[in-house]
Amino acid sequence: MEQPTRSRRSVLGWVEERVSLTEIVSFLSVFGLLPTELDTTKPLKEALAESLRRPLPSYARWPHVLGILSFMLFLFLGVTGALLAFYYQPTAAEAYLSTTAIARDVSMGALVGQAHHWAAILFLAVLLLRILRFYFGALYGKGREIVWMVAILTFVAAANADLTGRLLPWDTRGYWSMVRAREVTDALPGFGPLATFLVGGAGLDSLILTRFYVLHMFVLPAILLVMFYVHFSSVRRVGLSFAVTASRPRPLRVALYDVLLLIVGLFGGLITLSVLWPQPFMSAADPLVTPHGARPPWYLLAPHAVQQVFPGTVPMVVRGLLIEAVFAVILLLPFLVKGDVTGSRRGRFAGVGLAACAAWVGLTALGWWLEVYR
Amino acid sequence: MSPVRVVPVAAIAAALALLGLASPCAAVMAVPRTLDPSAAAAAHTGSMCGVCHSDVRVEEHQGVHEAEGVACIACHGGDPTATTVETAHRGNYRGKIARKDIPALCASCHSDVAKMRSYNLATDQLELYRTSKHGQRLALGDDRVAVCTDCHGVHEVRATADPKSMVFARNIPATCGKCHGDQKLMGAYGHKDDALAEYKAGVHGRALLEGGNDSAPDCTGCHGSHGATPPGAIDEGRRCGQCHSKVRAAFAAGPHKQELDDQGLPECVACHDMHRTAPVTIALLDTVCARCHRPGTKEAQLAGTFKTMYTQASTDVDEAEKLVAEAARIPLYVDDYRSRLALAHTALMESMPMMHSLDVAQVEPLTRKARSIADEVKGEIQHKLAGRVWRYVGLAFMWFYLVLTAMLLWRARARALARGAA
Repeated sequence: MEQPTRSRRSVLGWVEERVSLTEIVSFLSVFGLLPTELDTTKPLKEALAESLRRPLPSYARWPHVLGILSFMLFLFLGVTGALLAFYYQPTAAEAYLSTTAIARDVSMGALVGQAHHWAAILFLAVLLLRILRFYFGALYGKGREIVWMVAILTFVAAANADLTGRLLPWDTRGYWSMVRAREVTDALPGFGPLATFLVGGAGLDSLILTRFYVLHMFVLPAILLVMFYVHFSSVRRVGLSFAVTASRPRPLRVALYDVLLLIVGLFGGLITLSVLWPQPFMSAADPLVTPHGARPPWYLLAPHAVQQVFPGTVPMVVRGLLIEAVFAVILLLPFLVKGDVTGSRRGRFAGVGLAACAAWVGLTALGWWLEVYR
Repeated sequence: MSPVRVVPVAAIAAALALLGLASPCAAVMAVPRTLDPSAAAAAHTGSMCGVCHSDVRVEEHQGVHEAEGVACIACHGGDPTATTVETAHRGNYRGKIARKDIPALCASCHSDVAKMRSYNLATDQLELYRTSKHGQRLALGDDRVAVCTDCHGVHEVRATADPKSMVFARNIPATCGKCHGDQKLMGAYGHKDDALAEYKAGVHGRALLEGGNDSAPDCTGCHGSHGATPPGAIDEGRRCGQCHSKVRAAFAAGPHKQELDDQGLPECVACHDMHRTAPVTIALLDTVCARCHRPGTKEAQLAGTFKTMYTQASTDVDEAEKLVAEAARIPLYVDDYRSRLALAHTALMESMPMMHSLDVAQVEPLTRKARSIADEVKGEIQHKLAGRVWRYVGLAFMWFYLVLTAMLLWRARARALARGAA
């Protein structure tokens, strides 16, 4: 029993003399996988042991789980996305054929594709839930302004990643949902013309597909990674949440087991969803035939409804400015609310939040319904 | 050229034309639609007819004749350069052409092989017209019948390929219907006036007028154009057979044809109706056979046999197609199945014309082929779909190991918790 232990130690020691392993591992702490700092001056084993003994509320259990869960989904999307990218070809001529080939001919390709799809749905859902928890938990007050804004911007970046990803299979649903989505975003003053300029035109052709591919594969994940970095580093500065004391602090080692359990559950859940409720395969996109009920993705249905329900006398610019104003209010909420949100004030804020949620759900339903009876 | 400059140029051109001093250049400017500017210019150089007959001049301008240099005097004679009515309408002036003279007048050019050669136009229209009911009655002095101008227009004679032409395929039913839908006129000949309405409601009329299928027959498709004649009982089968050749062949091989011919009865229209031709579906067997054959007779039973054979095959093919669509959504390979089902569809489609032979031995191989292809495809897809049940087995295995892993992790966590507490 002694021999292998000694040899391991010696190998580790040999490497440690040449490379700062502690510094490499401390990289994990940047992305929340290890929520405490590592003392990079100490050898890895010593620094880890010290870190793992540190008491901490488990960040992989409710109510803190949403942050690490969204990051895990992001990693899962990265891994499955990379696997898909081995076979996917981003041209209008080949995109659909290569997507078909992935789903039909590549071993486990359909499963990976479905898992990527489901992870994207859950990713957005978790990010949205996180925003709601921040709001109703009043976790946007003094000191947490950046955390709140980053949560909002992470959702926006994730929605953009979802949007660009929809076009990539070049199938009927993705193509037309993208067409409808661009109708909504292009009509927004300022943002619309800028987005059109950045992607190089209002149409949807092979060049746009290539640009969306680069955005989806490289630019937006990079932005999301930065967002997660800013989030986790600021959370380390300001604490997990004001409710820290409510959770019983335990050694970090225990929290890491919670993370592993979460990974097992998440993996099982995603595979189960993919097998039991697979996304049906659609026909290739036909730019000349609009399928019945083509509508923007769910997160753009509310702006879509706002743009559509006003009478023609209200100019599109005004409708767009209204949407942008609502977004600005949400983004800058911490700066608009003065003082602590506690006691009866918190109840009032919760009421306002519920009303806003109800309005959003109503508008989303309206946006969906508009396309049913058109 | 800017619009500002067009106005004075056009005004000067018009003034010169009115003064009879129009140069060829001015004439070209005044006639922008001209196909052959020199011919048109020649046709109207110095022509004063339009000064009085401006409306006719406008109509003429829309047609092909002006563009090809056929001037007013080609049909009406007279002196186009004269500036008074009396001097213009003299010499060989023919005035308004009498209806009975129109075919011969048109034929003076249109039967001229040398003149028509460069247009690649037929020159037998007058000969054909003389064989038609219209021509025959005209020869007897009845000038209410259609002459050239009734269908082609008087001064505004457009090319057949021009969608505004009265004889463009989609306009022909309305053109014929002008007279053949006129109750008073048709009543005088003891004809019905419902041909146009019936045609519009029939499968051919809907295909041409609503579906925009220009290969669907218009009136001339069955009746001919210049030689228009109602097809006789036997002729009518031949006319339909021009397009429906397989049906005609099967029908000719069966017992119906001889029987109907012997009795001088019409062939196709006996079941499919004349102008209001019904769309062909297998349900026709329920109604049309019963027109002659009482229920329970051997013939009525044969109709039932055909219907059963066809319905079973088409149901099988439909089911196979649904399965293929289901498999495509997964997605499984279905390209091969789709092409095989296309063959099944062809066999099904061929079986209907073949039913006109009234020979089960000829129809049965076709419906059997469709069924056997559909059954094969269904079997293969069902086999593939059944194989997908292994996914659930795999899922169960996965969860077995995941739960095991979770239990081990939970135990390790509990230990870590105990150690931490200690």
